Amino acid sequence: MTKLIPSLQLHKRFILTLLLLFVFIWSLTSVHWNAELYHAGGIPTMLQIFEGLIQPNLDLDILMVGLESTWITLAYAVAGMSLAIIYAFIVGVLASGSLTSSKFSRIISKVVFRGILGFTRSIHELIWAWLFVAAVGLSPFAAIFALAIPYGGILGRIFADMLTDVPEQPILALKSSGSSRLQTLVYGYLPLVWADFISYTMYRFECAIRSSAIMSFVGLGGLGFQIQLALADLKYDSVWTFVFFLIVLVILVDSWSNFVRKGLTDHKRVKGFGTGWFSVLFSLLLIVGSWVYITLAEKANLFELLSEKNLEYAKKFFVGLLGINQENPAFLDAESWSTALMLTLETLEMSIMAIGFATIVAFITVIPAARNIANGSLTLKKSWYNWILYGFIRLTYIFSRSVPELVWAMMIIFIFKPGILPGALALALHNFGILGKLWAEVVEDMDPRPIRNLATAGASKVEILFYGILPIVLPRFLTYILYRWEVIMRTTIVVGFVGAGGLGMDFKLAMSYFDYTQITLLLLCYMILVIIADFASETTRKAVK
Amino acid sequence: MSSKTMIEAKNITKQFERKIALSSLSFSIKQGELVALIGPSGAGKTTLLNSIAGLVPLHSGELMIENQPLGNYKRGKQFAKKIGVIRQQFDLIGPLAVIHNVLAGKLSEWGIFKSLFSLLVPQEKEVAIRALERVGLEDKIFEVTATLSGGEQQRVAMARLLVQKPEIILADEPVASLDPARADDVLGMLTKIVNEENQTLLASLHSVEYARKYFTRIISLKNGEIFFDLPTEKVSDELLTELYQLKEQV
Repeated sequence: MTKLIPSLQLHKRFILTLLLLFVFIWSLTSVHWNAELYHAGGIPTMLQIFEGLIQPNLDLDILMVGLESTWITLAYAVAGMSLAIIYAFIVGVLASGSLTSSKFSRIISKVVFRGILGFTRSIHELIWAWLFVAAVGLSPFAAIFALAIPYGGILGRIFADMLTDVPEQPILALKSSGSSRLQTLVYGYLPLVWADFISYTMYRFECAIRSSAIMSFVGLGGLGFQIQLALADLKYDSVWTFVFFLIVLVILVDSWSNFVRKGLTDHKRVKGFGTGWFSVLFSLLLIVGSWVYITLAEKANLFELLSEKNLEYAKKFFVGLLGINQENPAFLDAESWSTALMLTLETLEMSIMAIGFATIVAFITVIPAARNIANGSLTLKKSWYNWILYGFIRLTYIFSRSVPELVWAMMIIFIFKPGILPGALALALHNFGILGKLWAEVVEDMDPRPIRNLATAGASKVEILFYGILPIVLPRFLTYILYRWEVIMRTTIVVGFVGAGGLGMDFKLAMSYFDYTQITLLLLCYMILVIIADFASETTRKAVK
Repeated sequence: MSSKTMIEAKNITKQFERKIALSSLSFSIKQGELVALIGPSGAGKTTLLNSIAGLVPLHSGELMIENQPLGNYKRGKQFAKKIGVIRQQFDLIGPLAVIHNVLAGKLSEWGIFKSLFSLLVPQEKEVAIRALERVGLEDKIFEVTATLSGGEQQRVAMARLLVQKPEIILADEPVASLDPARADDVLGMLTKIVNEENQTLLASLHSVEYARKYFTRIISLKNGEIFFDLPTEKVSDELLTELYQLKEQV
């Protein structure tokens, strides 16, 4: 028995890998693998879509439309983010408990405000958008609030975590010199966290661009709207033109955010008008420009939003959700529950399949995608094709993650029949690029000394991979898999909107039939899923430690 | 004892951008010699070891390993049998069990399938156990390497060298992060093994005391040049004071 324990310990990771693999295979069995999976015309359609990819429509009028929709997408993202930052800042500070004095009030404020942040971020932005549109009608503010609320929830939670993790000594020193609570916040907490907060906000801004693009699915303009129109007209060449606009926008934002992050970590003092100030000015310009555009050109009016008519609608909507005065609300009906739970299971399987596919592709590609492998500094082996492979894989990663899963799903359902497989494929297509990028960074950041030592001891490339790189990076790879799985879980509902199966498809139906109590039921199921995901990933993470 | 020349450096030079790391060094080391490399920080000790290990390319000059230019050796098995490297404890794979880190010395001989299978069922276990016995760690075979102390990790690295069996061992500050007792332990063991296996050892050290205690010959570097190259007994305190003097005497 005592001999068994160390060997169990030794193979813990191997057993865990087998277990996860088994779960993935189980999820695959939920699909009936036969020719029924795709449309009769699925393969020719795929070829047409591919043709459009190689030859996108470059007509001047299409390009002008693309440029205009890119601006709309950007403007909504900026407007949404600016509100999200305000919300995150206020609620985040309150949730961190750094303004409270007594222990009791700290716990109360932590629980209450963290709860608010948790609730607002657990619901996907597209669902918020749908709820707003259903409640107050089609208004630019529906999109802006739909972006601001979940993004504010995520940002606020990170902000609160950062404030809680601030080193104690400088804060105590300030307090002992007699500063008030607000002064401690401004002179102590904020300077300690603002650099991290800005870099995280920039990262989130990139995500907000994609979210803003898909807001069009509730009827708001922008790149997603154009993609949807072009797909409906089967003009695949124009579809790709707009997709390329989106990719370029994402790449631009990504490089700007890299630039800002680099400036923050370098800590170099630049004389005169430095690049940091340039970024601040540029952000202010963007924010003002976006709001001016949205109020003037899109005629957004906050007061109109709060008109009596809209309030009446909103009231009706929420009363409907709660099932007040309803004969037989769906969330109290056993049969509705059992169908909904079946869909929940289906959605769970879809998410596992999606992360499984994404993991496989990322795993195959990640090693050549790391810069220190490409230039041979890690393995001491150089080949002429290394850089070509590196460039190619990195390009696919960018391509994969720039296109929102919803857009992938819309294309895929032209090929596959509705079901959980197209949903899983769409989610995997979007996520392998993210996973690959995150993993490649892990490999790039690892300590090269042990690996080089293996190389000098004469290990081959594959041996270096299994003896050196994998044992060191696997725990962090797993963390990222679980983190992306949680995100995928929240997004399954969205790909369901376009007919990719699961809870989302039913959600859309319930929305179109104004079946409000069914919506409540589905939201409850959805929360169950999020709780399962949190629990499962927490347990797995602990098991690896 | 044979007196084959194992390492021969002929006017080797290395520059990093504009800084000269090694300027025209020449020396030769025979089989069985225990050579300590000393000198102030930044003198070029690590650069010299790395260039002998083939990790950094030279600017000019020639390095001969057993009368053959370094470049003639193919990386992989042939090179691994010639030269082995030991550093501070950072050159082990922390999350792997001790036995796998020791058996990594066999990777150059094993094929891919054998090495992958070995991660599940350790292959040639006796070889690893024998090596671990020699360094006194036979009870830690299945422990996760990262949980071992610094001195123990260094002994694991030595067990790996025992399995790899190179003719030349390059040691880069092998005891830099150990306390005096552990350092004595590790150096004593390392030099004993080298003697028993009739290997050749070239080790960079920050401590003159250890160099005198365990090595037969001392090469000192200063600003990329050889300051002195003497048998241990001929190294005087005056020479050492001058070596470590902060200011350049103009």
